[in-house]
Amino acid sequence: MPEDRALSVTEAMTIARAALEGLTLLHVIGEVSEVTDKPGYKAVYFTLGDGSSVMSCLVWRDAYSASGVVMRPGMLLDVSGSLTVYPPKGRMQFQVRSLSPAGEGVLRMQVAALARALEAEGLMRPDRKRPLPEYPERIGLVTSPRGKAVHDVIRTLRRRYPGAELLIAGVAVEGADAVAAVTAGLKRVAAEGADVVILARGGGSYEDLMPFNSEQVARAVAGCPVPVVTGIGHEPDTTIADMVADRRASTPTAAAEAVASAYSELASHVAHLSQRLARGLLHTTQAAAHRVARVAERPVYRDRTVLLGVRAQQLDAAADVLSRALPLRLERDGSRLAGALGALLRLGSRLGERSSDRLASGAARLEDLSPLAILRRGYAVCYDATGTRVVRSARELARGDRVRVRLNEGRADCTVDTVESEA
Amino acid sequence: MEETKAPEEMKFGEAIAELEGIVASLEGGQLDLEDSLARYERGVALLRACRAKLADAQQKVTMLMGELEEVDAEE
Repeated sequence: MPEDRALSVTEAMTIARAALEGLTLLHVIGEVSEVTDKPGYKAVYFTLGDGSSVMSCLVWRDAYSASGVVMRPGMLLDVSGSLTVYPPKGRMQFQVRSLSPAGEGVLRMQVAALARALEAEGLMRPDRKRPLPEYPERIGLVTSPRGKAVHDVIRTLRRRYPGAELLIAGVAVEGADAVAAVTAGLKRVAAEGADVVILARGGGSYEDLMPFNSEQVARAVAGCPVPVVTGIGHEPDTTIADMVADRRASTPTAAAEAVASAYSELASHVAHLSQRLARGLLHTTQAAAHRVARVAERPVYRDRTVLLGVRAQQLDAAADVLSRALPLRLERDGSRLAGALGALLRLGSRLGERSSDRLASGAARLEDLSPLAILRRGYAVCYDATGTRVVRSARELARGDRVRVRLNEGRADCTVDTVESEA
Repeated sequence: MEETKAPEEMKFGEAIAELEGIVASLEGGQLDLEDSLARYERGVALLRACRAKLADAQQKVTMLMGELEEVDAEE
């Protein structure tokens, strides 16, 4: 080696690169972070880490597409490839030839696939989510009988909403039996009459939460006859049970808070209702009193003559008109009649025997001239519908008009069927 | 009155719901005086029952499955 000659940076990097690329193919498992996957780029860049070391990686787009993997931060990835150097940045990077999910990565993929299937089935539709009962009488709790979660819920409910009975199914929430136990617990609390169910567990690793990602538990949650609230403490992960539940809370305590309004809120609601009740009655009685007062203020009640005064005056006026009109008319007609009778009698005395006949026929003719007598002879008078105006011509009528026909001994209201005008 | 259940025998939620209905009808102001008074009286009985329920509330815990493991006081 020419130790004495100074190398350019490029030469140094070339040596490093040759050394790294001389290594055999490496097989590495690590957790993905910082994924850069941009459509224009020839490669996908990401970082693999294990908590104490990190490694910059790239995978050519072809190889990435062929793997079928969709990288997400946090997933465990099983990669094969070789180390190299990227001289422009002076950085060592791992060039991935092949990749596949590893460990939790596999679990996550399975969970994601189940989630997609259940979503396609409609189990996560917003309209499936039921509202929680406002004032539950019995609250079901399915959780481990050990640990913090169960006590968090009991304490929260005791503080906020002590009136409800708490039905607890203490079941295994992790391990081989957990799926069956959680499912049985959900059924049991619902069968015992819970109005709402809390499904809770404290935080844990992704693997620990797997029972809550099982299809069986998901279906038990979705099929529960009363609303289910999950309080599965492991942000930011969302389990499938969370997705199908009617309400998701981030912790057991938050789930208990979601189920029960605070005692203080209830008490103030009752106090508020009490005030509104009193005000409501006041409102009604005041309204009634006001109505009475308003009526009492009317002139009619204040002064009796107001009610009758106008009418009385009208009556007086009418009586006056009548008293003036009637006698005048009668007097006139009476004197005329008297005159006519006198003339007839004089005539009669001159005509002797037959005069009485003449008189009778004369009287009959007089009578014939009366409109009423004309009616008796079979004539009729046609008025308009209001009975005030005489219809004098067929031309005034149209089909469907209502008319009033005055006949002997009465009248008839008629509808015009046809009209035939003459001339 | 359509509802004749004794307030003491009603569930808290039922009593509150009926009470809310009564308050709303009184506030509506469409009732005659007799009806208003009758409803008010019913409302007062419901209020009393609701308050009693709140005051008497004692948490009742029933273990249907498993045994509750007591933890050291950590409150």
